This record gives sequence, C-alpha cells and structure tokens, in this order.
Amino acid sequence: MKKIQCAIIIVTILMISKTSFAQQINWRNLNDLKPHIVNVQMGWDYSTVVGIGYGQKLRTTLPAVLNIEYSSPFGNDMFDDFKTKFGGQAEVLHMDNFSVTVKVYGVFRRYQNDLVRMASFGSEFSTNFGYYKTNWYVAGDIGFDKAIATNIRNSGEMKTFYPDIQDGWYVPTGGNFNLGIVSGYSFSSNDIYLKIGIHVTEDLRSTPSVPYYLQIGYNRRF
Amino acid sequence: MKKKLSFLSVVLIAAIAVTACKKELKVNEPGNLVPKTVTEDASIPAFNINNTRLHGETFGNPVDPIVVMLHGGPGADYRSMLNAKALANDGYFVVFYDQRGSGLSAREDKNGYSLQLMLDDLTGVISHYRKSKDQKIFLLGHSWGAMLATAYVNSYPAAINGVILAEPGGFTWDQTSDYISRTKDLSLLSENSNDALYPDQLLTGKENDHEILDYKMAIVASFDSRKGNPLGIEGVYPFWRFGAVVQSALFEVARKDGFDWTTNLSQYKTKVLFCYSEFNKAYGLGHAQLLSSSYPNVQLEMIKGTGHEMFYFAWDTFYPIVKNYLNALR
Repeated sequence: MKKIQCAIIIVTILMISKTSFAQQINWRNLNDLKPHIVNVQMGWDYSTVVGIGYGQKLRTTLPAVLNIEYSSPFGNDMFDDFKTKFGGQAEVLHMDNFSVTVKVYGVFRRYQNDLVRMASFGSEFSTNFGYYKTNWYVAGDIGFDKAIATNIRNSGEMKTFYPDIQDGWYVPTGGNFNLGIVSGYSFSSNDIYLKIGIHVTEDLRSTPSVPYYLQIGYNRRF
Repeated sequence: MKKKLSFLSVVLIAAIAVTACKKELKVNEPGNLVPKTVTEDASIPAFNINNTRLHGETFGNPVDPIVVMLHGGPGADYRSMLNAKALANDGYFVVFYDQRGSGLSAREDKNGYSLQLMLDDLTGVISHYRKSKDQKIFLLGHSWGAMLATAYVNSYPAAINGVILAEPGGFTWDQTSDYISRTKDLSLLSENSNDALYPDQLLTGKENDHEILDYKMAIVASFDSRKGNPLGIEGVYPFWRFGAVVQSALFEVARKDGFDWTTNLSQYKTKVLFCYSEFNKAYGLGHAQLLSSSYPNVQLEMIKGTGHEMFYFAWDTFYPIVKNYLNALR
C-alpha cells in the first residue's frame, strides 16, 4: 500500500504543479525568452505510437522543465490503449559540453482488449548523459519504467472461463529497463531528435515481445 | 482558476487512493488471476507420473482401446477438446491430460522442460492407464499435440496403434517456423498489434513467475481468435490456464537445437488420419500434403466449415471422420 501512496503523492505533486513536456531537450538551446515547448513524436514504444506533449521551463537555478505527454498506439480505437506522463527533468550536471539530465515521471496507462481492461499508475526514472552543443547533441539514455499499481477488470468472457478470477488493484505488475542512445539537431526555435534502444524486463533475463524502442520527435520552442 | 484545478486534482487523486485501499492483490498469489494448479488445489483430478503431477480426466471403460488426447500449444490445455469425450460412448477409453507445465498441471522451472521430457510424460500417461499389453493405444493430437504425437510415433512406432493429427504445425523446425510466420497477422498499425504487444509494459514477470506470465499469455492469446484471424478461428474458445513458461522453454529449445521428427516415420505402416480445416488460411492443402507425405499411409481429410479450433467449433463434422477411422483400426 505504501507504494501506491507514494505513487499517488508523486502524481499529485506533479499534477498540481504547472506541468509541461519536452521529453528530449537540448539544454544549450533553452532560454527564458522561449520557455514553452510543444512536441509531437511517433515511433515504437511496445507498439506503433504517436504522441503529443507540452513543456515549460522553470525559472530556477538548476535548469529544469516540467512536462506532460500523451501517446497512443495506432489501431481502430485510439482511446482504448494510451499512456500519459506527468513529470519533469533537470540538468543536474553541466561541465563544458558534457551534461547529465535526470527525469522523473508519473505514468498512467490504460489497456483494453476483449478479455480485460487495465488502468495502471506507475513511474519512470531515467537519465541522459552526453555531449551537448548549441545545434546538436548525442547522449546515452538509461531508464526504468515500473507499473506500480494496476487496476485489472476482467471481461464477462474471462469470468465465464474462470469464475473465481479477482478484479482489483494489483501491486506491482511489471517493470522494464531501457538502454539506448538519443541524438538531436536544433535550428532556430526547433529541435528534431531520434531515440533508439532496447527494453529488458526487470529480471534482466527476458525481454518484451519486441524488445526495441524508437522515437522520432519534433519540438517547437516559443 | 489555478486553485480550483489544484483542488480538483487532489480530490481526484484522493478518490483513486480510497478505491485503491479497498483491495490490494498480488499477481503471483495462486488463484487470483489464474486457476490454481493440481499442486495448489487437491480437489482437482490428477495423477502422478514421471516425477510430476498432471491434471487429467478419463471417460469410458478402462479396458476399452485407449484414445489419448494431446492438446495444443505448447502451453494450452484440453478444455476446448472435451467434445471428444463422446468417443467413450463408442467403446473407447478417452484419456485427457494437461501436459507438464500446461493447464492445471504442475509447473516446473523453465530449465526443467525438454522435448524428450514431453515424450517421456506421454509414455508415463499410457503406462498409467493401460490395463494390458493387448489394449490398443490411439493418439488424437491437435496442433502442437499433433506434433507431439508424430514425435512419439517417430521415436516409438511400435507402441501406437493409430494416430489422428489435426493441423500439426510442422514435423521439422523449418516447417513449424514457416507455418507460424503465416499465422501471425501483425500489421504495425493495427489494433491486433496493440492487443498483442502493448501489455508488455504493464505485465512482466521473472522467468519462473508462472501466475503473471500465464495470465498475460491468456489475455494476449485472444489475439489469435480476433475477427478475420488467419487461423479461421470462429471466436474465443474455453481454456483453463495457459502455460507461458513451458511454451517459452520449448520454443527456445526448438530454435536452438531444431528438430526433425520424420526420420523414422517411414516405418509406421498403419494408416494415419491427417486433418486440416477449410478456413485456416495459414494451413491449406499444400501444407497438409507437405507434412502428411512423411507418413507412408495417410488418409487426408479437410474439415469443412471451420478453422483451426475444429474440436470446439466443428466437432459434429470432425467426429464421424474420427470415429470411422478408429473403428476401422480397433
């Protein structure tokens, strides 16, 4: 239960803040004159997905951005499966052109098929570390994504097959590491970036069915 | 406005927290998401063979010729094949069992499974139920079960008095992987892809976390029976519990080592009943002829008006063909 409470507290804090999004940021290009960032992205994230986001730079000593993001896989129904992220990222180390970014997100996911509907609260912690210039950057991308509390509601068909199946909150239900590389190019008030890597389940011995992720994104700063 | 939004957010989260406090469940607690196995529930009909405990049921007179039912997968169970218990009324002793690691049978660690072990289990099942050396043994296998039946005949041709094969995937790894590739309809932009792959971020388990892995396999397996599926399956069909670990283990063994269960089939002179379905687009006459040609004596039959799950959706059509074949050999 503590894990649920912890997740809820994190999500609450993030929601009542001025949330924003820009999942990949070139810190060398970010300034207080254009603190807003809108983002579109698509790629492979456990399925073929498309997403949008918004971010806002904070007026803090430590460079930081708050984010909100929504993504959904393609398919007949765009709203039966989706993922939202609320969170922020900060540049915790900046030495010459070398930079380390830490990201913390609360995640809400939904999934539905003929047999089950799942709604899940989780968290995502990740870091980018690499070389950042004014108009380009390349960085490593390491993270951990945990489904902390998932509400599982099974369909009538599932209950016909197994009448004693238990609907409710399951804690926890899953977690995956990701390891990859990200690179971006910046021009005037725009950034384009490419992120690619692999997913590994939390036991480090198995992988998702398609163990890769790929994201192509575009940021517009204003 | 900001204060109102913040207040609403707190109320929303508080409501979620209250809901969450009502019930907190563990995915790996036996019985929560998948039924208990024979090692967790003593009321389930079961028997011990070959250092494991299998879920099983029998129908008919124990001294009649035995028909051993072999379910698909690997990792499915015999629930959707239960129509075949009608053979008990025709003078057969029908034996159903969930294979090791499947259905309601006991689970093993992933490194505990091998193809030879599945054959040894079948030897154990036959020995467990056979009352005399004169009692005839027939195998009735579906999909993976039909592959297992062929592997058994290839290893022990003199031990089996007749075989019915319903859409075996392949008798070699090349045939099997080729067939599997035709059964998947994973367009990158389709709802089917989401249904099959998106749960990978919600449900994960360590390699021997049977409960969550079996549950995940169940909800993802519904992908195979969606409208327009290549297998021609009419809809969702009943199951008890999938065996994700045994499936993963046996596929890994097959990919790594390969297999060829045709090397000795020429010695099996008894007629084999080989059936394929009209609506399975991944199968067809070509694949049926390719596989069945490994047997010297084959009765090839198309089961009309159905797809891969012919035991459940088209038993009335399938049954007389099976019955006539068995009666000719009893």
